[in-house]
Amino acid sequence: MATDEPDESTRARAVRLLSGPRSRLGVTVGPSAAWILTLLVAPLAFMVAVSFFEVSSLTYQIIYEPTLNNYRSLFDGGGAIWNTPFVTALWLSYVIATVTTVLCLTLAFPLAYLLARKGGRLFKLVIFFVLLPFFTMYLVRAYSWVLMFGPGGVINSTLMSWGLIDAPLGIFNYGIPAIIVGLTHAYFPYMLLTLYASLDGLDFSIIEAARDLGASRVEVLRDHVIPLTLPGIIGGSLFVFVPSVGAFITPTFLGQGKVQMIGMLIESRVAGTYSIGYASAASMFVLVSIVGAMILAFRYVSIEELGGA
Amino acid sequence: MATDTSESTETAPSTDRLIGHQTVERLLGTSLYVVSGLLLLFLWVPLAIIIFLAFAENAVTIFPFEGFTLDNFRLAVSSDSMRASLAGSLTIATVAASVATVLGVLASFALTRYRFRLREVYRTFGIIPMVIPGIILGVALRIYFQNLLGILPGFATVVLAHSLYGFPFVLLIVSARMYTFDESLEEAARDLGADPITVFRDVTLPVIAPAVGAGFLFAWIRSFEDYIRALFLTGPNTDVLTIWMFSRIRQLDAPELNAVSALIVFGIAIALAVAMNVGNVTGYVAGTVTEEEE
Repeated sequence: MATDEPDESTRARAVRLLSGPRSRLGVTVGPSAAWILTLLVAPLAFMVAVSFFEVSSLTYQIIYEPTLNNYRSLFDGGGAIWNTPFVTALWLSYVIATVTTVLCLTLAFPLAYLLARKGGRLFKLVIFFVLLPFFTMYLVRAYSWVLMFGPGGVINSTLMSWGLIDAPLGIFNYGIPAIIVGLTHAYFPYMLLTLYASLDGLDFSIIEAARDLGASRVEVLRDHVIPLTLPGIIGGSLFVFVPSVGAFITPTFLGQGKVQMIGMLIESRVAGTYSIGYASAASMFVLVSIVGAMILAFRYVSIEELGGA
Repeated sequence: MATDTSESTETAPSTDRLIGHQTVERLLGTSLYVVSGLLLLFLWVPLAIIIFLAFAENAVTIFPFEGFTLDNFRLAVSSDSMRASLAGSLTIATVAASVATVLGVLASFALTRYRFRLREVYRTFGIIPMVIPGIILGVALRIYFQNLLGILPGFATVVLAHSLYGFPFVLLIVSARMYTFDESLEEAARDLGADPITVFRDVTLPVIAPAVGAGFLFAWIRSFEDYIRALFLTGPNTDVLTIWMFSRIRQLDAPELNAVSALIVFGIAIALAVAMNVGNVTGYVAGTVTEEEE
């Protein structure tokens, strides 16, 4: 059948390999386990180590003597602790990520509900128009909002040419609102698809039964729809919150230097002065908070329930 | 039975309600459509404006409108740096996604067919590359390669990083398909004397092929559109499209960028339309593929 079949001896050896329980695990799990160990576990472990070492600012070499200086420098800015670039950036990242997550959840729920209840041609068309921005390059989507916002951006210039406003509005300038809109646009499909997956498995006859028995819409939503789709809600929130905390491209473009989120701070320290000690220490806080969020989420959902996307 | 606070039924509307049940029903239904329509508008307006500006004389704003042109496309296609970085990104994405697909298919096979120690740990760590922020993975890998292993950033380091990043997408999509797979088919083939390789090639692979294709596509797109990991892991001899685009956007006046973006939107639209007519894309993306839908 296949023309490029390996010669018999290699084939026989491969068959023998796949017959033993131990060797067949080695063949199937081995390569990816090696990848995970050498490209994920080892680098992260090394990053933990680097956060406790000094790095020479001349040679960029690591000086292997334990120190807490990297962590101290995160909170040392000459002024109050909450005024250091690190604390400000981390706090701002959490606030922006939280608002983005809530916004995505409230916007996606109605559409996911509609998609789960209706099927057919309309459904396929709507899904196409949701997936297309989803598959479009992240950078292109961020860039599209660069054009929209700004004092001379599409929104302001359009409103002005229609005579609705006389001068550019501040809210449509670059800044935190623009970043939140950009992030919502970027991660909305993750939320929608995760919610849709869990609403799609929902038995809608339960809702009709509850309604027939006299439950109000709010009661049905509170007592049936939300508890039954909780894995989707938590999963979707995680898929929006985590990348939003570490966002880099969107805040760089849509903040235009006025806003610094934690991802930008880490990037600037590494790309600028190669301060990998500082960057590693800062990354630890991001990692720990993300692991915390995931542990919290996994108390309610299993990793399988989180499913695709 | 019904107290005055409880909701009344359709047949007997209570007198204290201003609008009837039917009206509420219709209003809610309509508002669901309106909200959904506005959302699609929100998703689409910025992309539509990029496409419009790609064909316009004026590069940044719509007003004052100066007329249509194809110059932006000519500028984009004739740019050497753009072509070099596009070629670089295509190569990186293809190699990285291929590696991720091989690793992911093998791993899915183990996760769904074999029981072994640390299986749950292995699965969890297999998904982490997808959820860990790109900036942290990028910086960690950069420090690891440069300071611990003494490997300078370049083509190999980007491909390694992207193959790790793409692996969870293949793993999730393919293993979801394998879970719904009727294992007795494989058993039957084995009982009839087929060796493991033949079973995989003639029985398993044809069934999971669409999922493998979807996994590859996902890993490919993730690699192609990645900026932050590539930023830390690419070297002077490896050009990446996203890095080229990023530097152009920072200058805030790049008419050819609109054309490049429009071409990407068109390309993805065609690929997606084809994929949606061939296979159950929604199912793979949302993780809702079941036996019956296939």
